[in-house]
Amino acid sequence: MNQWLQQVIEHGQSCDDWLSPLRAQSLAKLHTMDWPHRRIERWKYTSLNAFDDLTLNRDTAVKTAPPGAIEGLDSIDLVFINGILHTDLKTQVLPKGLRISGLLETPKSEQDVANNIFNKVKPEHHFFGLVNDVLAQDGLIIDIEANTNIAKPIRVVSMSTDKQGSHQRILVRVGANAKVTIIEQEQGDAASVSTCFAEYDIGKEAYVEHYRFAMQSAEAMYFGGCHFSLQDHAQLNSTLIAYGSALSRIDVDIVHNGQYTQAKFNTLYLLGQSEHFDLHSTIEHAMPNGTTEENARGIIGDKAKAVFNGRIHIHRDAQKTRAELNNRNLLLSRRGQVNTKPELEIYADDVQCAHGATIAEIEEDALYYLRSRGIARAEALVMLNFGFIQQLINDIPNKHIAQWLEPKLKSRFVKMQVI
Amino acid sequence: MSEQIEQVLSQKYDAGFVSDIESETFAVGLDEDVIKRISANKGEPEWLLEWRLHAYRNWLTMEEPDWAHLAYSKIDFQAISYYSSPKSMKDKPKSLDEVDPELLRTYEKLGIPLHEQQMLAGVAVDAVFDSVSVVTTFREKLEEAGVIFCPISEAVHRFPALVKKYLGSVVPRGDNYFAALNSAVFTDGSFVYIPKGVRCPMELSTYFRINEQNTGQFERTLIIAEEQSYVSYLEGCTAPQRDENQLHAAVVELIALDNAQIKYSTVQNWYPGDENGKGGIYNFVTKRGICHTNAKISWTQVETGSAITWKYPSCILKGDNSVGEFYSVALTRAKQQADTGTKMIHLGKNTKSTIISKGISAGNSNNAYRGLVHMGAKADGARNFTECDSLLIGDRCGAHTFPYIESRNPSAIVEHEATTSKVSDEQLFLCKQRGLDAEKAVSMIVNGFCKEVFKELPMEFAVEAGKLLEISLEGSVG
Amino acid sequence: MLKINDLHANVENITILKGLNLEIKPGEVHAIMGPNGAGKSTLGYVLSGREGYDVSAGNVIFNDEMLLDMDIEERAKKGVFLAFQYPVEIPGVSNMEFMKESVNAMRKQHSLEPLTAAEFLKKAKHACAQVQLPLDFLKRGVNEGFSGGEKKRNEIMQMILLEPSLCILDESDSGLDIDALQVVANGVNSQRDGKRSFIVITHYQRLLDFIEPDYVHILANGKIVKSGDATLAKEIEKQGYAFLGLDTSEEPNI
Repeated sequence: MNQWLQQVIEHGQSCDDWLSPLRAQSLAKLHTMDWPHRRIERWKYTSLNAFDDLTLNRDTAVKTAPPGAIEGLDSIDLVFINGILHTDLKTQVLPKGLRISGLLETPKSEQDVANNIFNKVKPEHHFFGLVNDVLAQDGLIIDIEANTNIAKPIRVVSMSTDKQGSHQRILVRVGANAKVTIIEQEQGDAASVSTCFAEYDIGKEAYVEHYRFAMQSAEAMYFGGCHFSLQDHAQLNSTLIAYGSALSRIDVDIVHNGQYTQAKFNTLYLLGQSEHFDLHSTIEHAMPNGTTEENARGIIGDKAKAVFNGRIHIHRDAQKTRAELNNRNLLLSRRGQVNTKPELEIYADDVQCAHGATIAEIEEDALYYLRSRGIARAEALVMLNFGFIQQLINDIPNKHIAQWLEPKLKSRFVKMQVI
Repeated sequence: MSEQIEQVLSQKYDAGFVSDIESETFAVGLDEDVIKRISANKGEPEWLLEWRLHAYRNWLTMEEPDWAHLAYSKIDFQAISYYSSPKSMKDKPKSLDEVDPELLRTYEKLGIPLHEQQMLAGVAVDAVFDSVSVVTTFREKLEEAGVIFCPISEAVHRFPALVKKYLGSVVPRGDNYFAALNSAVFTDGSFVYIPKGVRCPMELSTYFRINEQNTGQFERTLIIAEEQSYVSYLEGCTAPQRDENQLHAAVVELIALDNAQIKYSTVQNWYPGDENGKGGIYNFVTKRGICHTNAKISWTQVETGSAITWKYPSCILKGDNSVGEFYSVALTRAKQQADTGTKMIHLGKNTKSTIISKGISAGNSNNAYRGLVHMGAKADGARNFTECDSLLIGDRCGAHTFPYIESRNPSAIVEHEATTSKVSDEQLFLCKQRGLDAEKAVSMIVNGFCKEVFKELPMEFAVEAGKLLEISLEGSVG
Repeated sequence: MLKINDLHANVENITILKGLNLEIKPGEVHAIMGPNGAGKSTLGYVLSGREGYDVSAGNVIFNDEMLLDMDIEERAKKGVFLAFQYPVEIPGVSNMEFMKESVNAMRKQHSLEPLTAAEFLKKAKHACAQVQLPLDFLKRGVNEGFSGGEKKRNEIMQMILLEPSLCILDESDSGLDIDALQVVANGVNSQRDGKRSFIVITHYQRLLDFIEPDYVHILANGKIVKSGDATLAKEIEKQGYAFLGLDTSEEPNI
């Protein structure tokens, strides 16, 4: 067995807390699972050879300052550093209807909430999800009462530093007809493995605006997951932005467990250097009358590799579903690679489903056109690259976040060597 | 509406009869001895026996693939007979007059009377009856043009250099589980050679038919188109109705040298099994062509039969400016399962490929498109366009799309689109309001859905394919 | 202001321009006519610097500078404007953003401060009005979903905004009905100020009824084979290109 995994398992066996019974199931599962290799379909394009000489690091000492606020955004901030929550929840004044507790000190009532979500939304086939089950010492339980509108966005920031991994778990219950915005911002410069998995149980007629920003440094290895369950008439609008890791893999599951649900899921990946990014998304339509709109766009420069696997699964009962998935890539370097696989698996006939995928480069004609109007080549390239992702930026419901992102993304183009 | 669909789906298999011909058949089972006997029966040279044995030993180390969207119980490879030859073949017929009349009647029932075809259609037919090529018509006329069209078993003796050079050159012996098995035990198939600059004067056609009980059919086809040549090849497949599942594991290799063009069309109507999924052909086929500079290979397939279809006719676009095309209609009904598609491997500069796939699912069937488009690092300026459309008839079937798209070249452009639709009540209403019955309406809508593919088929085949679809859909409509 | 000397140009190793000479003075309007495939569009592309158009001989002097030595954007900033025959669509990049960048690139060239958003908008509104484009075209992606006529008007709108010194109109009349043609022509005429020069490339005489040229040149087989005044265009209209004794059958359509 892989040495790193061995250490994960040993760590899990030595851990004793109120989640231990649930963790034990994941441990057992990990024992029976193969270490992911390229002949397993879901790991076909992503190699984990980088784990060969790795050891598990579990030093949780603080060695960094958290990143600044998102300008213009008044948010409830919760900060993890190297996997441990550094925000004092006791001093936080939270709006009515919102309860937040840490995994280390969890009131009994919230333990019950957590027990109903932990691994109930996240499917058990995610290898690093199981690893996170075992390693996530700390985390958050965010519980929103029915019929409450939490106006302030909740921002969960996670930092990892100095070769320490950061492993946390986020469990969210959104009561019926409640409304909330949750931002998961994961940043770090660690040359180590971080995992963060989040599970959202979204009640009837609830609305969730969700962001996951996976912005790691070049040495980081990052494994993330966002898993959503939607009840009748629930709505989800989720945006994922990923760049920076030497190796990153994100698994997203959106399960329509109720009728008349709506999900919108957008992803942007901007890759340069030797970055490797792998997104596997699965949309499950289990009930009728749901809609899904998924758009993933990526720009790949230098020696970077992008992997996209987007599955839409329409179950027998999910009549009148409308689901669309689109993956578009700009491959801008001879040394880069894109592997994309949109999938449809459909068992109901009265549905409208479509997917599309493209891989291309910047059109020479468009570049010529801009330059013929006096715009310098480099500037024209920024415009064209940004134009490619503009639609997804426009789709971001929170304008402060969109404005905060724009310069960040534009400055990525330089690093990616695509301009 | 769905009730009417069911009615149409309960249509009987027209080609399901058994010919009463004495045949020589090996006992079931597979080992090196069986392979040696196959080889000896065909009087094969030593190198070919060695080639087979090498493939067999390789096969023993391989595992049956399970990645396809197919559910079936494991195949017992020791329960299959690997050789069956009609007895009357011992003395090969020199002309059609010498052919066993019962055999000819079989073809007639299938709708391909050789005499008529000779006279009317001008199609040369290399009919494979179980494992041995029976008779080849029009051979002389073809040979005048320098075209060689004969059973591959004969080509082994007459053109050993060509066979040795190209056999396994596109689909290597150990390419995949079923190709390895085929390489070990293949019994016969067609061999086509088009000399440099020759445009084959007629469409070449082979009808495959599995007759003998418990016999797997392992044919091997090799088509070599020399520089600047052209050939259009038609393949039709049927099999009698049996309760047991029969295995069919063919290999087809196409070689299109510089500026050559090969058009390969298939209408596959193997026995699909009964309404409950009992019986039917397991069709595990490896088809692949290689295109050299400026060459073009075009695969067109209409797949309506078989209990299981596992088939990915592919193109290796090795030469600069070469072109690959794949046009497919796959219809599944009852408990049929299809996992079919193509691979377009772009290696050369400015290579182009087009994929048009139309899947129609009815009854309790599952129909999957699975394809790969690979843009290699040197495929500057390569282009691919893929369109996969699925049509669902009824609410108990499945339609699936699994495209793999890989690019390593920024100047290559790949576009993939897939959609799913159903025959809508509005469409049916309109047709009925205009006086069409439901069955005619559905068949019209389905035909329209498949038009892009049918127009790629040679004329006679297009008509046949349309009819086949109509027959297959009978009763599946409401 | 512009002097083209013995210009030879190739596209994919096919020689299209075979020794073209032309001199244009400030304020002049020169029409270039010719049969399909004569090399008319190639002239526009070579002057604006499109990649893939290789100049094998000759030179072009533009305001005392060697034009062919410059990059595409440098030429644009020095005042060369090409109104495209087929303007490209760029989804995601708004017309507004595009023109603002472009106008400010021009201003920088002339050591002017960049325009503020409000100043730019005012100018853009004015330019749109001149070619009768609704304002919401500024918000849309560059040419995205525009009709043929809208694309042509968008080109003239850009020309008005960028105030070039040499405007090359490549078949700006093709695909336009008479009303749209008039709008385009009015836009062009409004920019004739006695200093700005124009090269009007067209297949038909029709456009020249609205934009009156000082000179008309017939381009065939990569050379100017005949020059004259506006009456030459009328002659072509009446008799076709054949009267010039040109064999136009074997020319590639580039």
